[in-house]
Amino acid sequence: MNIIIVGDGKVGYTLAELLSQEDHNITIVDNNSEALRKADDALDVMCVKGNGASISVLREAGAEHADVLIAATSLDEVNMVCCLNAKHLGTNFTVARVRNVEYTVDINAFKRDMGIDLLINPERATAVEIARLLRFPSAANIETFYRGRVELMSFRAREGDFFLGQPLSSLSDRVKGLPILFCAADRNGQVIIPDGSFVPQAEDRIYLIGAPVGVHEFFKLIGRYASHIRNVFVVGGGRITNYLASILERMNMRVKIVELKEDRCRQLSEDLPHSLIILGDGTDQELLDSENLEESDAFVALTDRDEDNLIISLYAMQRKVPKVVAKCNRQNYTGIVRHLGLESVISPKLFTANQILQIVRGRQNSKGSVMNTLYKIGDSGAEAMEFVVNQTTRHLGTPLKDLHLKRGILVAVIIHQGRTIIPEGSSTIEMGDTVIIISSGHGILDINDIFDDSLLERRGDNSEDDLLDRGLEL
Amino acid sequence: MNFKLVFRLAGKTLLVEAASMILPLCVALLYREDPTPFFFGIGITAGVGFLLSLLRSDTRFHAREGFFSAGLIWVLVGICGAIPFYACGYFDSFVDCFFESISGFTTTGSSILRAVEGLPMGILFWRSFTHWLGGMGILVLTIALLPSLGARTLHIMKAESPGPIISKLVPRASQTSKILYTIYFGLTAIMVICLLVAGMPLYDALVNSFATAGTGGFSVLNISIGGYQNPVFEVIIGVFMLLFSVNFALYFLILSGKVRQALKSDELRFFLAVVAASVVLISININSLYPSYLTSLRHAFFQVSTIISTTGFSSVDFDLWPEFSRTLLVILMLCGACAGSTGGGMKCSRILLLLKCVRREIRQILHPRSVSVVKLDGRVVDEKVLHSVMVFLGAYMLITFSAMLVVALDDFSFGTTFTAVVACIGNIGPGLEQVGPMGNFADFSHLSKLILSMCMITGRLEILPLLVLFSKSAWQRV
Repeated sequence: MNIIIVGDGKVGYTLAELLSQEDHNITIVDNNSEALRKADDALDVMCVKGNGASISVLREAGAEHADVLIAATSLDEVNMVCCLNAKHLGTNFTVARVRNVEYTVDINAFKRDMGIDLLINPERATAVEIARLLRFPSAANIETFYRGRVELMSFRAREGDFFLGQPLSSLSDRVKGLPILFCAADRNGQVIIPDGSFVPQAEDRIYLIGAPVGVHEFFKLIGRYASHIRNVFVVGGGRITNYLASILERMNMRVKIVELKEDRCRQLSEDLPHSLIILGDGTDQELLDSENLEESDAFVALTDRDEDNLIISLYAMQRKVPKVVAKCNRQNYTGIVRHLGLESVISPKLFTANQILQIVRGRQNSKGSVMNTLYKIGDSGAEAMEFVVNQTTRHLGTPLKDLHLKRGILVAVIIHQGRTIIPEGSSTIEMGDTVIIISSGHGILDINDIFDDSLLERRGDNSEDDLLDRGLEL
Repeated sequence: MNFKLVFRLAGKTLLVEAASMILPLCVALLYREDPTPFFFGIGITAGVGFLLSLLRSDTRFHAREGFFSAGLIWVLVGICGAIPFYACGYFDSFVDCFFESISGFTTTGSSILRAVEGLPMGILFWRSFTHWLGGMGILVLTIALLPSLGARTLHIMKAESPGPIISKLVPRASQTSKILYTIYFGLTAIMVICLLVAGMPLYDALVNSFATAGTGGFSVLNISIGGYQNPVFEVIIGVFMLLFSVNFALYFLILSGKVRQALKSDELRFFLAVVAASVVLISININSLYPSYLTSLRHAFFQVSTIISTTGFSSVDFDLWPEFSRTLLVILMLCGACAGSTGGGMKCSRILLLLKCVRREIRQILHPRSVSVVKLDGRVVDEKVLHSVMVFLGAYMLITFSAMLVVALDDFSFGTTFTAVVACIGNIGPGLEQVGPMGNFADFSHLSKLILSMCMITGRLEILPLLVLFSKSAWQRV
C-alpha cells in the first residue's frame, strides 16, 4: 500500500519504521529537515519537506493515489486540515491524531464532513489502557481480542508456581478444564510457542490467552489474584491523568494526584471533583511517604520525564505497592527496568503507533481475510493476530489435526458463533469464525499464510483435495 | 567498518558483472572469434564473486559502508573487467587493460589503443558495454536486480549516483533503481532504433548507443563518429548525448504526467542555456573553416553536445579549431552534465549553486545584515548541501592539480597534461593536443595511467567514496 505519514515525530517515525518493514511504500512529510534526514538515513522511505496541510505538498507526496494518510503532527488542527485536503485529493483512508477533547466529542461530524476516517487520541487511549491494567492487577500486560471477549495476558513465572518443572500435558485436570491456553513463553528474549511437552521454568514470561473468566480463575489458582484496587496514587497531572482519573472515578476507585504546578492542580480539581489533588513534587520521597504511599493499592507515574517516572516507580515497588505502572516513551529503558521487576511500563507513543498500525493492517487485506488485531509478543518478532474467516480462506471444515501448519504457528482461539473455543485436534475452522493465531515470526498477513501447502503437495494422498481447493479459489 | 557486509555486496556485484560478460561472449561466438578471453573473465569474476558472496552478515548498511563499498567495488569491478582485455592479447600490459576497463566503466572513453579497427568484435562490444553498465551505475543495477540486500541501500545509491542532492523517485530504493534502469534501457532502445532507421549496421548501432547512453565515448572507428561521414548519424547521436545528460528524475516526472514541473527545472534551463550559447559562439568562431554555416553549426552542436555530456565522441578534430573554441570546450569539460544523469564533470547544478552563492556573498558584502537563502527549483537549498557543494568543488580542483603534477613527470606540454587530467576526472575522454580527439593515452607512463584511472573513479563517484577508501580510519574495524 502507499502510505503517507505527515509528521516525523516519535509516532510518525515508529509508524514509518514498522510499516516499511511490512513492504508498504511510505512517504514521510515534515517541515523539519533534520528529522527527515534521520528518517532518510535509517529507513527505506521517501521524504518530502513541507507543510503537510498544504495541497501542493500533499500532491507531491502522492496523496492522489495514496491508500492511507496518517496525520501525526503535534498540532490537532494541522492534522485535521491535512486529512481534509488529502481526502479531497483522493486518499482512500485518513487517520488523524487529535488530542483536544473538544474536538473528539464531535467525532461523527468530523468523519462525515472533514473526511477523517479515524481520530486517535493518544492520551485517552493510554488512559484507557492503564485503567484496564488497574482493573486487573495480576497481569503485567493485557491485550484484548474480539471486542474484549478474549484476553491475552502476560506474567512472569516465579519460583514456587505449581506449574513449573513439568510438561504442560501433565497439568492437573483443573487447569486443563479452564478455557485458557499457554500460547507463548518468552525465555531470555527468545519466544517459544509451547506444545504439550513444554516445561515452564521460573523467570519465563508466560503469555496466556483465553476467555476473561478462565484467565481470572487461573490467576486465582496460582495465588496471583491481587485483590480489587481501591486506592490509586498518581504522580503527574497531565492530560493522561485527567482522562485516567475520570475513568477510575467511574470505577469507584479513589484517586490521589500529585502535581507540581498550581494552575494545573486547580484545573484538575475543577475537572475531577472526587479526586484528591495535592500540590507538590511527586519525585520527592518525603512527600510520597507523608501521603501514605505504602497504603495505596496502585501507583501510576505519569510525569513528562521518563527517568523520573521509572525511578519513582521503582521506589514505589520498594515500598511494596502491589501494582505499579510507569509511563515511559523511550523503548530502551523498558528492557532495563523490566530486569528490575517493573513489569507494567506503557509508552503512549508506541501504543498510538500500534493502534494505527492495527488499523492499517486491517485495511491492507480487504481482498483476503481481514486481520482485525495484531499484537507483538516479546521483542523477537512473535505476533498474535485476529482474523475473520471468509470465503477466501482455504481448508474450511478440516480438523486441525489434519492440517499442516507452518512451523511456529499456533491456532490459539476459535470464536465460533460467539462461543470462545480453545481448539483441540478435532476442532475445525468454519466460515464466519474469528480465529486468533500466534506466530513466532513475521510474515503472516492472511490467514491462508499459516498453511504449509508444500508439505501437503509432497504427501501425495491429500494433494488432490488441495488442488481442488485451490481450483475453487481461483 | 563492517567488512563482511561490504565484501558480500562486492561479491554480488561481481556476479552481476560476470553475468553481463555473457553478452559479449555471445557476440564473439556469433562472429566466430576466439571466446577464451570471456571464459577467463567470466570464470575469474564469477569465482571471486561467488566466494565473496558466501560471507554472511546480518548488520545493516550505514553511510560509511555505503561510501566505502562504492569506492572498493568500483576498483574491483575495473580489475575484473580488464581480464578479457588482458586475455585477448591486443594490450601491452595489465595496467593498460585496467586503464581501458576503468575508462569504460567510468564512462570516460579515454583509450590507450592507437587503433581500434581490427580488434575482435567481442572485445570492442565489451568495451562499449562497460559504458552502459557504468553509466547508470553497476551498484544501482545490483540493487535493482537483488532487492534482497534490504533496506538502507540508499546509502549505496547515494555514493554512486552523481549530483549534490540525491532524492528517491519512489519510496523504495530498489524500486527507484528499477525505474532508473527502465528509463535508461528504454532510451537506449529508442536510440538503437533511430540509428537503425538512419541506416547504421546493427552492431555499430548497438555499440554506439551503449557508448552514448553511458556518455562514455568508446567508438569502433579510429576517428570516432566522424568516420561514418554521415550527418544524420551525427545529429541523432548529438541529440541523444544531450538527452542522456539530463537528470533522469525529470524523465520520471514527464512519464508521470508532470511535464510542466520537469520543464521548470532550474538545472535543465541552465544546462540548455549553456549548450545553446556555446553552440552559437563556437559556430560563429569556426565559420571560416567550413564551407557553409549549416556545416559549422552541425559540427559545433556535435562537439558541444559530446563535451558537455562528457561523452567524448568527435565528428571532426576539434583540436585544430581556433583557440577560443578550444578554450570554451575545455570550460564545458569542467562544467559537465546535469546531476542524476549518466554524464560526468562537476555537474551543472553545482555550478549553478556556486553562481548563486557568489551572488549571495556579494549581497552580503553590500548589505552585511541581510539574510538570504539559496533556492533551486523554488526550494530552499539546505546550508549543509551548499557547504558540501563548495567542498566538492574545492576538492575537485585540488585533486585535478595534484594529479597534473604527477602526470607532468611524463614531460608533455601543459595543454596535454591539463586536458588529460580534466578529461579523465570529468569522465570525458579526449582532451586537446596529444590526447585530442585523434590522439590517445598510449604514450603515458604506467604511473600516469594508474593516477588517471584513479582520477576517473574519483570523478565518477564524485570524490568522496574514493577518498574514504584511502582514509586510514575506514580500514579499522572500530
